[in-house]
Amino acid sequence: MKQHPYLRAYMAGIVVPTIVLLFGLTSFTVARYVYNVPLPIERLIVFPMSVVPNLWGVWNILFVASRSRTHLSLGVHGMLLPLILVPLGLLLLRALDFPIPYAAAILPVGVPLALIVYYLVWKYVVASLNQILGLA
Amino acid sequence: MIHKTRTGNDDSEELKQLLQQNLPPLQDHDLELRRDLWPRLKQRLDQEDVHDLAPRQSLRIPWFDWALAALAAAALILFPGVIPALLYHF
Repeated sequence: MKQHPYLRAYMAGIVVPTIVLLFGLTSFTVARYVYNVPLPIERLIVFPMSVVPNLWGVWNILFVASRSRTHLSLGVHGMLLPLILVPLGLLLLRALDFPIPYAAAILPVGVPLALIVYYLVWKYVVASLNQILGLA
Repeated sequence: MIHKTRTGNDDSEELKQLLQQNLPPLQDHDLELRRDLWPRLKQRLDQEDVHDLAPRQSLRIPWFDWALAALAAAALILFPGVIPALLYHF
């Protein structure tokens, strides 16, 4: 299994956000339509549904393409992704004119938390998927 | 009048003669492989066996990662407001 490493890297990369999207979307939909939480889900969902999984795939391709030069571990490489995703997500929310509740309180906790979660997920889950697909 | 019918056997004999006339006879060194292919095949099989059948290494999680996971869990419990924001970026 030595052909198309970038295609395999992309496929391994999109698995986690695609599965998480299922649970996230279900939670948001239940909150919106069952419990009538005023969340404009249709405006929000474009980012986690399209941008995030594709960026994960591209980020894994970048890892496969650059690991011989950078020698970064997959965990550290994945930990850098929120540094792109968080500003991008906030920019999109601002463009959609969506108010971010408690933004000042969430960001100082949310950003380090995202870095930790991304580090662990990339180090263990994405690395395992890469190994299964013969990319390790 | 006798009709001579051609059988499959006649055809194959004729074909054999034609081939013998037109193809040069094989020399002894043509009948053997120029190199032994088995070592290469065995090497490939061994590589695939190592890749596919090697027992998976038991997952060792260093204490630092346990600490990070505990920190993340504590942050999620203490600040549940970050959960939607985290889900949004996943």
